[in-house]
Amino acid sequence: MHIPDGILSAQVCAAGYAVTGLATWYSLRQINRQPNPTAAVPKASLLTAAFFVASSIYIPVPPASVHLILNGLLGVVLGYFAFPAILIGLFFQALVIGHGGITTLGVNAAMMGIPALLAYHIFQRRNSLGKFLGEPTRTGLFAFLGGALGLGVAALIFLALIILNIPAQLDGEAERAAVLTLSIAHIPLAMVEGVFTTMLVLFLRRVKPEILEG
Amino acid sequence: MNVRLSLVLGLGLVGWGLPVLAHGVVLEHRQVGSVEVVAQYETGEPMANAQVVVYAPDNPTEAWQQGTTDDQGRFSFVPDETLPGSWEVMVRQAGHGGVMTIPVSAAMADGAPPGEPDEASDSPARAEGTELEPNSGPNSVISPRTSLSPVQRGITIGSVIWGFVGTALFFARGKR
Repeated sequence: MHIPDGILSAQVCAAGYAVTGLATWYSLRQINRQPNPTAAVPKASLLTAAFFVASSIYIPVPPASVHLILNGLLGVVLGYFAFPAILIGLFFQALVIGHGGITTLGVNAAMMGIPALLAYHIFQRRNSLGKFLGEPTRTGLFAFLGGALGLGVAALIFLALIILNIPAQLDGEAERAAVLTLSIAHIPLAMVEGVFTTMLVLFLRRVKPEILEG
Repeated sequence: MNVRLSLVLGLGLVGWGLPVLAHGVVLEHRQVGSVEVVAQYETGEPMANAQVVVYAPDNPTEAWQQGTTDDQGRFSFVPDETLPGSWEVMVRQAGHGGVMTIPVSAAMADGAPPGEPDEASDSPARAEGTELEPNSGPNSVISPRTSLSPVQRGITIGSVIWGFVGTALFFARGKR
């Protein structure tokens, strides 16, 4: 669901860069406040590589196809590192495999990165909101919510951006219907990513619980 | 998900056919140069029922023709022979798509000798035509990327991934 070059107007692209700049600055500031800011860099690097590769795994859903995004997973596991990780991953995706574009890099990073931060905050609420649940269930459920909502919110932003930017000459009805279909196609994908995030988080919880603390 | 639009130009086969007269019915045929646009996703899936908007060179802001691609992602149109220049074709579907420029020369209109629709001919411009033939090779709106061969792309992807892994190893090397 990367938005390629030439779909959005210059103003929207500039606004995307502004939002991304702000979010990157905020994320880096939060990272710098951590006792050891570089401690999570290996984890972030490896997940950036996973994010970079994930978008080449296609799942055909007519009329187009969807591919794994993993932004919710990055948010859950990386916290504030998720935003720079997604920004860098998207830059390389645009450059190397042609997903998205350079003019729309800001828009795409905001579209996928901000829901990732949301996913992080959802996951962090597992001990307060999920008090009534037992331990593995609680972590698993909030990991699922983070993974699924991270993608779901990104798909909603995509839907809104495209619908608000349909060129006048296009048959708006048909384009709206097509975008809606594509967005609905992301619901099963959100489930897949939620399940995948849960599996990864439960695995990490078992073998290296300190990774999930940050 | 990006879109690859490849373009095949059916070259100008323009010439007046002989009128057939019989019992007051006039039938005539005329062959004109048409342009066929083929739109497909990067995965090779055709962009079926995608919207197509054609812009004439004299008015790049107003649609000259609109339509949709067929099941195979194909769309054909016959450019107005009196308007040589760069025709623009926009293909859009669900937020995916692109714009490409199709050079159309007046030679397409000026009684070119008949022949088979010609794809990717490298023949030099005809002597009579001062204008060049329309670029008949498959055209692509994302040419910079498609110019990478699969091997080059594989190496690039490998290097990028190794860059991330290397960064991870560097920071994970532990305290000395």
